[in-house]
Amino acid sequence: MKFAWLCVLFPFIGVLSIPVLAKVHSKFRDFAAVFLPFLSALASLMLLPYLFNPESLPIESSVVWLSVPFVVEFGILVDPLSIILANVVAVISFIITVYCLGYMKGDPDITRFWTLVNLFIGSMLLLVLSNNFLLLFIGWKLVGLCSYALIGHYYKDEKKYWIGGPPPTKYASPTHCGLKALVVTSFGDLIMLGGILIIFFYSGTLNLHELIKTSSSWMPAMAETPGMIILVSFLLLAGPIGKSAQFPLHEWLPEAMAGPGPVSALIHAATMVKSGVYLVARLIPIFYYGYWVTGIGEASTFFTITAWVGVITAFVAATQGLVALELKKALAFSTVSQIGYMWIGLGVAGLSPSALVSGATSGIFHLLSHAVFKACLFLCAGSIIHAAHSIYMTEMGSMRKYMPLTWIFMLVAALSLMGLPPLPGFWSKDAILLSSLEAQAISIFVLAMVTVTLTSFYTTRLIGMVFYGPESMHVKHVKQAGGNPHEADRTMWGACAVLAGIIVLLGFLGPRVEHLLSAAFQSDLVGRLHLPVKHPENHSINYHLVVSVLSVLSVMLGALPAYFLYIVRKKDPRVLLNKFAILQILHGFFWRRWFIDGFYYKVFVDGALKLADFVADYLEDGFDNLVHRKFPDLITRKFHGVLIHFRTDTDVFFYNITYILIVFIGLLLVILW
Amino acid sequence: MIPHILLQTIVVPVLASIFIFLTRHRIGRKAGWVAGFSLLYTTGLLIIASARAYHGEVIVEKYPFAGSNITFDLLGDGLSLPVALIINILCTALAFYSIHYVEHRIEAIYGEVDEHTWLNHYTRFFWLFLGFPLAFLGVCFVKNLVAMYFFLEVLPIPLYFIMAFFGYIDRVRVAMLCLLWAFFGASCFLAGTVIIYYQVGNFNISDLHTLAGHPAAFWVILLILVALLAKMAVVPFQVWMPWVHAEHPTCIAGLLAVYANIAAYVMVRVIVYPLYEDFKIFSMPLMIMALITMVYGSLLTLAQTDVKRFAACSTISQLAYSLLGISALTIFSVEGGMFFFLGHIIGKTILFSTAGILVYSTGIRDMRQMGGLGPKMPITATLWIMGAMALSGFPPMSSFPAEWIMFTGIFKSGIQTIPSGLIIAILGAVAIILTAAYTFRSVKIIFFGPLNLSLANGEIKDPPLSMSVPLLLAGSVSIILGVYPKLVIKLFHLVVGGLPIP
Repeated sequence: MKFAWLCVLFPFIGVLSIPVLAKVHSKFRDFAAVFLPFLSALASLMLLPYLFNPESLPIESSVVWLSVPFVVEFGILVDPLSIILANVVAVISFIITVYCLGYMKGDPDITRFWTLVNLFIGSMLLLVLSNNFLLLFIGWKLVGLCSYALIGHYYKDEKKYWIGGPPPTKYASPTHCGLKALVVTSFGDLIMLGGILIIFFYSGTLNLHELIKTSSSWMPAMAETPGMIILVSFLLLAGPIGKSAQFPLHEWLPEAMAGPGPVSALIHAATMVKSGVYLVARLIPIFYYGYWVTGIGEASTFFTITAWVGVITAFVAATQGLVALELKKALAFSTVSQIGYMWIGLGVAGLSPSALVSGATSGIFHLLSHAVFKACLFLCAGSIIHAAHSIYMTEMGSMRKYMPLTWIFMLVAALSLMGLPPLPGFWSKDAILLSSLEAQAISIFVLAMVTVTLTSFYTTRLIGMVFYGPESMHVKHVKQAGGNPHEADRTMWGACAVLAGIIVLLGFLGPRVEHLLSAAFQSDLVGRLHLPVKHPENHSINYHLVVSVLSVLSVMLGALPAYFLYIVRKKDPRVLLNKFAILQILHGFFWRRWFIDGFYYKVFVDGALKLADFVADYLEDGFDNLVHRKFPDLITRKFHGVLIHFRTDTDVFFYNITYILIVFIGLLLVILW
Repeated sequence: MIPHILLQTIVVPVLASIFIFLTRHRIGRKAGWVAGFSLLYTTGLLIIASARAYHGEVIVEKYPFAGSNITFDLLGDGLSLPVALIINILCTALAFYSIHYVEHRIEAIYGEVDEHTWLNHYTRFFWLFLGFPLAFLGVCFVKNLVAMYFFLEVLPIPLYFIMAFFGYIDRVRVAMLCLLWAFFGASCFLAGTVIIYYQVGNFNISDLHTLAGHPAAFWVILLILVALLAKMAVVPFQVWMPWVHAEHPTCIAGLLAVYANIAAYVMVRVIVYPLYEDFKIFSMPLMIMALITMVYGSLLTLAQTDVKRFAACSTISQLAYSLLGISALTIFSVEGGMFFFLGHIIGKTILFSTAGILVYSTGIRDMRQMGGLGPKMPITATLWIMGAMALSGFPPMSSFPAEWIMFTGIFKSGIQTIPSGLIIAILGAVAIILTAAYTFRSVKIIFFGPLNLSLANGEIKDPPLSMSVPLLLAGSVSIILGVYPKLVIKLFHLVVGGLPIP
């Protein structure tokens, strides 16, 4: 248990010590900034043996934080879910901090950066290891705050750090992107707070473990109010939808890559977006119990929303990835899409008793594999942008000549993202598709399969545009100006190499890892919580085989055209685009992000500012005029002859003092009398 | 055991004020330090008194005043002591903060004057300033409605004079406006007090419960509520707030937030605690008013470009949260609402005073003309962000646990009054997003981005330590209460927990 506490504590020690050590020597500061996440990762790894012996879980340790007006404990919960998440967060984050050593070298604001990174890691670990909703929410809010500060790290908003474009598409400054992330995610957080507090009202506890254990008593009470469970489902899911950038609160994430490269890796792979997935997984037993044990129909809403939000997001984001020109933005769209897959897995877990364990396992397994390959992709992207001096893929090309190692690492990660066997992305995505089929969610399965094709296309396109084809004019200009595109610093490519190695290892161990996770969830959900499950029926068709074959075919269907267009360059994609009107319409639609982002700016940002101006210029000024001008004018006009002798609303100070004295002496006399 | 501990907290500022006035030419520029250290002493006393209350002791001090009906008895319990302590800490911080700020204001308003005149101005500020802790602590501790009325009426006096002598452009007119609004509220409070006297037979707050269930209770509550809502600047009584906050010298603008917020304490002490059954009928209308004010105030703030009016308008919105909590009438929401009030006054003191630092350093009030000040004023930026976090309810600031406890109660009340109560609760929680939007947007406008060219050549830097350190310490208090909220909540619970409400 002490390892769990240490896992959370080490990064917070970093937060406190880094600014102090920075005053002593920069090397001490840098060392602490990496060593403390390392210790945290080590502590999280020490929790792994519990996964092999899930019967001994959960373990809880807490101290009372608040005893009145209600009891809140400051505690840690170790169960299969928290162990997996803690390891993903701590280990990947540590690797990213190693990468930062090279990437952030010479940055004038490095002390602030290291402090925030440690706070980010610590907050995320607090979130996934906390044993109650209040503590979880503290971690949740801190993660949001850190992301705001780290996305806006280049807070002077120099043009070289702007993202977006090329014209006529608008650019966005880092601080704008940070603010956008904060506002959008906070919106979801606050709605979620409502859901948590309603649950607290009925259950009387904030403890996650107790909530599940006592759901048999408070769930029926909640169901007595028609629509309440549906409302709570919507409220609770709003937080994860915001944090995990799911439709309709997904528009902040593509801009979140305005921060330094490793920050994008942290947000996309190890921390922020995974918090939403974690919370949904954490809530599964409560609603599953309500629906499948207590028979409350409304409880299924939670799963229906989760699965559909997931698949819609996966599809919508993938279409946007098809046309993205910025390297990190393409990866950002891919993150949104891949998180959608995780939501599909978790959603279908409650749609059928035969999909509980497989759904939960597949969702979390994909979280694990995605964390590794997406961290690798983002770190490689950071190195490439450094080398190419551009954020646009159109201004790269043929980069494998200059960065062969990065090319290999990124290729391995990209193949995993596409879902090519035997890499981990294949196993985890397959598991999600299979569980959706087991839950008889056919429409979701079909849309998810289509998205596999899209994923495969945009990933191949990305690799082709960056590493293959002719060298871009931009790179030539960089070289002519004395630039020398080259492999990144040792710490940078070393971190990518480790991640690529883990991807390969996880690929070979994929089925075993899946089995381990499945056994842990089986023990937790079925063995400990006694949630009813049905074993999948024996079909005449081997679903597993069908899904695998369809999945590989879908990958090929997406990869082949992209291969010919962007790698071997048989045809110029721009020619094709100009030739077919339908392609132009679709391209425009996807480029403008289905008009969702523009709609939000128009309605929520411009709308709020216009409304604010209306309130200030018309309502407030009008009322102020009425109360402070018109009304006194009316009185003074009516009683001018009398009031002229008692005039106080004047700039003559003497009048005012006399008036006050008269009033106060009068009042004092009245009281004493 | 320290004798007359509560009385000392009221009398010491008076003595210090008289001392500064009488020796103004002798102590001269040390007047600020005298004021600050006298308040530091009373802060120490209040910490000791609060520690006693934390262990369950109720401190009562009896002082006869005018017959048996009007006494000057003082009560230090779980409700009054934490409020008094936090207010006194803020007064202390602002006294030290003012030492440099007032010099700057005198120079800005009166220009080059001879030493004698200068000292008159300078010391006048501090002997007037000490009227605030006197009145605030008086309101907190008195057990008698007339004494409470007296202290509520004392409050506008230093406010008026400091405003008129040290305020900004339209200061005399706005000082008068502030005074008239104070009289409006006071008249309603007095009317309610008079009805109480005729029904109860005395002015003791502890005997107010005998009015429970009586038809007159409705009118008493209504009159006192109007008085308090006017003080809290709840829509439609909000119009005075932006003027007054914008034109005041910024060193007391934090106390203006306390001036408005203390109405929340009075509401709990005078209405909610003794007359909770009669108050129930006002619960829903007040919650609706609070919600409207939260949204209205936030939108108003969003439209501001003047850094001082920005902070002023946000007070309108933030005060409504406490009102929402108190009017939801559950133990959680009342305790949370009170705690939120404390968190808010700390946050607002930091924010207002930082606005003062910005005006002090740059000489401009328009936020759009600032831009990019972060690298030049890192401590100021930190303070502003701290204030923004406190207002938006981010951990580890005290407003985070306060908001959580308060909304726990608001939702509890809301579920019991479905659908209207629940809708208000949900909208109330979501409305916080507007606070996060306008506070962090202001951070971006003022401190981020490229440095405004008009400021590039100026000698702009962080203020002297005497201005920034008190604010950083105030922020630390907020963090301590955020990390360990039990210090305050336990005290509140000793009193509010005894109420027979859900």
